[in-house]
Formats: sequence, structure tokens, C-alpha cells
Amino acid sequence: MKAESVYDLAPWTMHYGVQSFQDGQSEHACLPALISAVAKQFAQNRAFTCVMPNGMYGNLSFAQIDELSDDFATYLRETLQLEAGARVAVQAPNCLSVPIAVFGILKAGCVLVNTNPLYTAAEMKHQFADAGVEAVVIVDMFTDKLETIRAETGIKHIITCSVASFFPPVVRHIVQGIQRYWNRAIPAHSMSVTQIEEAVAAGGAARAKLKRDPQEFWKRLKRTDLALLQYTGGTTGVAKGAMLTHGNLLANIDQILAMGAAKIELGREVVLTALPVYHIFAFTANLLAFYRVGARNLLIPSPRPVQNLQRAFENYPVTWISGVNTLFNALLNEEWFTAFPPKHLKAAIGGGAAMHSAVVKRWEATTGSRLAEGYGLTESSPLVCFQPFTGPQRTDCIGIPAPGTAVRLVDDDGKPVPQGERGELIVRGPQVMQGYWNQHDESAKTIKDGWLYTGDVAVMDHEHMFHIVDRKKDLIIVSGFNVYPNEVEEAITAHDKVMEAAVIGVVDAKTGEAVRAFVVKRDATLTETEVLEHCKTVLTGYKMPTKIIFRDELPKSPIGKILRKELRKEVAAK
Amino acid sequence: MLTETETKLLGVMMMVIMFGMGASLTFRDFLIAFKKPKGVLVGLLCQYGIMPFLGYALAVSLGLPPALAVGLILMGCMPGGTTSNIFTYFSKGVLALSIMMTSVSTLVAVVAVPALIEMYSNMAGVTGEFKIPAANVAQVLVILLVPTVLGMLLRKWNANIGAVVELVGGMLGVFVILFLIVSWVPRNYQLLLTTPWSVYFAAIGLGLVGMLLGYWLARLLKQDNNRARTISLETGIQNGPLAVLIVTLTFSGTMQQEVLLIPVLYSLFIVLTSTAITLWYRGISKREALARDGAKIGAVAAA
Repeated sequence: MKAESVYDLAPWTMHYGVQSFQDGQSEHACLPALISAVAKQFAQNRAFTCVMPNGMYGNLSFAQIDELSDDFATYLRETLQLEAGARVAVQAPNCLSVPIAVFGILKAGCVLVNTNPLYTAAEMKHQFADAGVEAVVIVDMFTDKLETIRAETGIKHIITCSVASFFPPVVRHIVQGIQRYWNRAIPAHSMSVTQIEEAVAAGGAARAKLKRDPQEFWKRLKRTDLALLQYTGGTTGVAKGAMLTHGNLLANIDQILAMGAAKIELGREVVLTALPVYHIFAFTANLLAFYRVGARNLLIPSPRPVQNLQRAFENYPVTWISGVNTLFNALLNEEWFTAFPPKHLKAAIGGGAAMHSAVVKRWEATTGSRLAEGYGLTESSPLVCFQPFTGPQRTDCIGIPAPGTAVRLVDDDGKPVPQGERGELIVRGPQVMQGYWNQHDESAKTIKDGWLYTGDVAVMDHEHMFHIVDRKKDLIIVSGFNVYPNEVEEAITAHDKVMEAAVIGVVDAKTGEAVRAFVVKRDATLTETEVLEHCKTVLTGYKMPTKIIFRDELPKSPIGKILRKELRKEVAAK
Repeated sequence: MLTETETKLLGVMMMVIMFGMGASLTFRDFLIAFKKPKGVLVGLLCQYGIMPFLGYALAVSLGLPPALAVGLILMGCMPGGTTSNIFTYFSKGVLALSIMMTSVSTLVAVVAVPALIEMYSNMAGVTGEFKIPAANVAQVLVILLVPTVLGMLLRKWNANIGAVVELVGGMLGVFVILFLIVSWVPRNYQLLLTTPWSVYFAAIGLGLVGMLLGYWLARLLKQDNNRARTISLETGIQNGPLAVLIVTLTFSGTMQQEVLLIPVLYSLFIVLTSTAITLWYRGISKREALARDGAKIGAVAAA
């Protein structure tokens, strides 16, 4: 192929450093092969530790997770008689049952459907029906929602788990007792369900009786086989299932590790997983990539309030953490965190939504370690771009494309724009999904000629680093001038008294659209005039907010991404 | 009066309670409290500023006789009770702050409590045989630091066992009060019937007014609502069993019985009042959380 533009010459490879990377050709043919091999390599090491807010914990070693997920795989295939390729959903917060279920489903040759436990019944119905889910592993806290919609889905088997499943017995009973009797968080239901402990026991018994080696279920899996349906809201509102194969995820694991290689030692890392692993970011980065390097994974069932992380930070030598802007920001507002920042921390990965450079700088000053921003989307498993640890230290960009990834910035006609100009970021690489499940039109609109159209507007600077300007659809047009909300938000949050901000466009009689800012105060004394005075020093006239609205909180997605569309809906409703 | 065995049992239980309190703490918690002392300082001010004065003021204004006055002042001077942590947990307050206040006030107690008792007893005109020797109080408190530190070490060694011991210690705090009620009330119901209303008023008022003042002082010192509620519970809830222990170790015979009256009544009623306050606070916390969620998803509902 002839190079059509500067992007096709991949000038950023100069920042890759010394490591080599063969286009995401992992030595494994499928995820179960990797899971099994890693478990043997680090057998006696601790793989997962679930940490409750008061410090109570449960552990699973690599050998245990291998054994339990083998049992669970056998349960799915032999006891429940599911076929290879059957869709099985996991709907639970981070807890020990999640890796058992996820790895078990993959080992069974079934297709995993990650599901947000905070979904409403209607959202659950859509996702389960759309994916054709046959069995679901659901946390006992939300079975009531499932009961209301079960008849409208094809779900045949329900396996329940508790946040404290696989904890030591006394601790498990205390946690479950408090959940059930004091918090009344465990609703009653009349469905016939199997607890995951029973399922694993049944699977183990079946394995022994049939002398079945769980390898049978997965040894014929190929890189092109479907592993995961990861639902994403997308722009149209109806959630679509991104089809990610074993090959997609294996490639992205390698790409993520290539990003972190400089600071990762095999079998020595402790990674804090505060983001939910049903989200693609923590799923691939924490659950899969850090598992691959034999890291101990600290699973936090709920990072909100953020004090819930205090005992995990105190009791374990956390070396890596992944998070979103709001999580890092929240930690930096905690006395216990800033008084004693984690001293073993080597690096942090930020993603999920744009990191604000003010937060990155405070984080790096407080912890003395890098916070590298990554950029990705569900449709690309997710990692596309990252800030290399080997390259120049930058806090204002998403860095460079991951090894093996081709990107271009294009105009509305799909033609590459010159370096330094804004264009839609498009991606091609081994991590790009196969399309949306049962959505041919949507797939065709998103993937054209093998390129994934991200809907994000970006620019490449003279160092060949990429900057996300904004979502294409979030662009505000004031009197014909383009205003990108990110830029205005950055400007506002740079003010010391501001905790966080969101910016949207509202209809304006004079200018077509006007900039409106929603601001959460860090310091209660902050006034609208102070914000505007500050903005004046960094923003030209047409980018200035015409109105500042102070809020106690901003609408956020489960991982803490600020949802501008909710603010737009709110304004539109008035 | 408590029998010899009961006094010993009380001592042992107290040890276990303090062991449990220690198990709720990490050494890091203390270091943080020293590095970022504001919340804990506000708490200490409420604990040792408001409560001893309140005890003294009630004793003087109600004109209580020396035996009762000393009991009330002693009760007011006590450090925070470990049961406050459980109540804070159930009221959805700031647990870390509650634990810190309890433990720092217990640590500071070694110096503060003997001095405060001495000062307020003198001011209230308590003299001679009714005075509690400062050395006794300090001694008891120092001895109780031993299980506390052991608890902290246990927690450091194993967070699971630590958390279980913490829970057991907290529960035992409530149990000790029940034990007092069961062992003391039946033997003294005659006394309870003849006890004047002013004594009940003092025993109940100390906790309730303490919570009220604690809340407002915390608000005045710019603590947010939730922290103020936590400080309020922490201020009002004193370490009742500790006061009982000090009394039984200092006095004997009918004198002990008289001095014990207020600490026992206080311990009895604080369980009831703080349960009521906890449920109330929990309601407020829930409403605040809902309001926050409302602000968050108001957009969705409106659309």
C-alpha cells in the first residue's frame, strides 16, 4: 500500500524505545491458553484479593483461580449442557466470583457478555435479549431486577454470587449478614438459582466423574473466534454489542503491556482495580493484562465513596493503579491519601475519559510517579494510543498509537488532513472489533475499509504525539467558530477552587450556540465572577462560557466519566 | 454494689473492648491524624471541651450531692466510647473520623482525664473521700493502652482477624451495658424508684445535650454535615464501662453504689438515645445521598 499521508509513515515509532513488538502476535491461540499457562507459571502467587472497605479480604492464588475456573467451565458445558459459543453474562461488581466466572466462561468456549450491575431492568432486558444470553452469573444484590424481565429473555440458567463469595467462612458470614440484615441489600426473589459455590462444586464433581479435561472445551478455539460481547451506549442511545475476538483481546493485552513494559516486573506487581471490570478498560487492562504478568490484583467492589480504597492502599504495596480522571481527582482530595501517598506506586494509567492536565500534574507531584494517559474505546478492546514511559513526559496528550496500530486523522470525506490539523481519528489494528452484534448497518457505518471511525476529533503535533480535541458530536459552534468543550473544561478546572467542570452548548438566539459550564466547587467561596475572570486569561472571547452553573455533583457513568449528554437533556427539558 | 467477680469480669471485658478498638486502627491512622489534625482536633475540642464542662454545669445547676456530682463529672470527662463507632457505621457517618476520635481521645485521656476530673471536682466543691485520685485514673488508662496496642498489632498482622475482633469488641461494648443493667438494676430498683428526676435528667441530658452541642460546634468549625453528625455522636457517647470500672476500683460499699448511679444510668440511657439519634441521622444521610443522586440523574428523569 502506498503511503497516503504522514500518518501512514508512522513517524511516532521513534518513541517506542527498544522493545520489539510483532503486531500483537501473542504466543497463545486463545485466551484460555493464556489463562492456563500463566496460572501454571505463577501457581503459588496470589492472583486476586478482594478488599472490603473495612479491610476484610479474600484471596485466590493463580492455582486456585485455574482450578475453580476449570470447574466452572465444566459446570457450564457438562452440567448445564451449554454449547460452545453460547452467550453467558456476568453481572457483578468487582469480587472474587468475577475472575472465576469470566475465566470459566472463556475456558468453556462460551462467549462472555459483560453486564453493568447498575443497569435498570429495561437495559438488562435489552442486552440479554439482544445477545441471546442463555445463562447469567449475577450478584445477589440485583436478582430482583432480573426477575422482572427474565420471561422476556432467553435466560435458562441463573447463577448467583455474593461480594463475599470465596472469602474465609467467618468473614464471609459477617459481610453477608451485614448486607442482608442491616443494609437490606439482598432482595428476595422466587427464581430457582444456583449459587456459584454450588456451581463450582458441581462442575468439579462432573470433572472427576467424567474424567474430562477442560482443555477439550477450548483447545480448538482460534484467534478469530468470538470471546466477548461488550455493550456500548454509542451515539444512538441503544446499546450495541461490540464483538471482540480472542485475537482482539490477546493483541490488546500485548499492546497494553508494551506500553507499561518499562515499569512491569513479572510476578512482582500489585495492581489496584477500583474501576469495575465489566467495563472494557479495567477488563482488558486489569483483569487480563496484569494477570498475564502474574500481578496480584486487588479487586475493590465499590470505589464510592473513595474512602473505600483507604484500607487497600494501607494493607497492600500497590504498584500500579488504573483509573479515570474523577477517581484520581477524588483520591487527591482525601487527607489520608495525600498525607501518605502510596510509596510503592510505579505508575498509574488514566483513561475512560479525557484526563485533565491539572489532575495529572497534582497526581504526579503527590505520588512522585507517572500517570500515563491512554486512549481507547470499547470497539478497540480498548487501547489505541498511550503515552510511552520511554518517551517525553507529557501531560497534555494521549501519546502515540500502540504498537501494531495504524491511525489516520481524516476530514469529513475520509481524506487524511495535514499534520497539525484537526481530523477524525480512525484506527486499524489487531485490536479492532469485528463489528456490532446483529447490527450490520451500524457496523458498516463504524468500520469502513477496515478502518474504525472513532468519532473523536484529534490532532497530531510536531513531536508526532496525538491530542484528542473532543467528541465530534460534542462540538459547540458559537457564531460559526468551533469550540471544543474539553478546552473550556481544562481552562475552568485549572482554577484551584474548582473540583470539576462540564461544558455543553446551549441554543442561543444571537450566536446560534453558547457555551454553558457546570462547575463543582472545591472551595465553597468560589464565585461565578472568579471563574469568568480566570477564563478570560486563557480563553478567547467566543470560547468564554456565557453562564456558570454551580452543582454539588455532575452526572457520571459507572466508571466516572462525566456525561455531557445528560446535562444537554436537562437543559433541553427546560 | 458490684461483687468482686463482677468487677474483675468488668475489667476483663474492658480489656477486650480496648483490644477491639485497637483492632479497628492502623498505625497509619495515627500518623494521618498527626499530619492532618483538623478533624480530630475539632473532635477533641468537643470531647474534652464540651462534655466535662457539661457534666460540671449540670451537677452544679441541679445541685447534685457530692457522690452524684463526682459520678456525673467523671462521666463527662471520659474519652469516647467504642460503641460510637458502631453507631457511626449504622448512621452512615464518617467511620474513619469516629475511630480516630475514639482512639485519640483515649490516648489523650491518660493526661487529660485526671486533670479535668481534678479541675471540675474542685470547682464543684467535691472534696475529701469523694475525690477520685488522679493517679488511679491515669493508671487504669495506661493499663488499657496495652490491649489497644495489641489490637493494632493484630490488625497489622491480619486484617481479617483484626476486623472480626473489632466487631466483637464493639458488640461487647453494648453487651457490657446490658450486663450492668441485668446485674445492677434488679438489685437497685428500690434506689431507682426513689431517685429524683434531676438525676435522670442529668444522666440522660449529658448524652443528648452533648450530641447537640457537638454537632453545632463542629458546624461552627466548618465541618460538613456528615462529619458534624459523626462528631456529634462521638461527643455524646462516652466510655461508660470505663467510668464504671474506675468507680469500682476507687470506691467501695454504699459509697460505690451512690457514685455508680449516674455512670450506670448514663450507660443505660445512652444506648436508647443514641439508637434513636442514629436512626434519625441515618434518615438524613439517606436523604442527602438521594438528593445527590437526584442531582445526578435528575437530567434523565426530566428528559
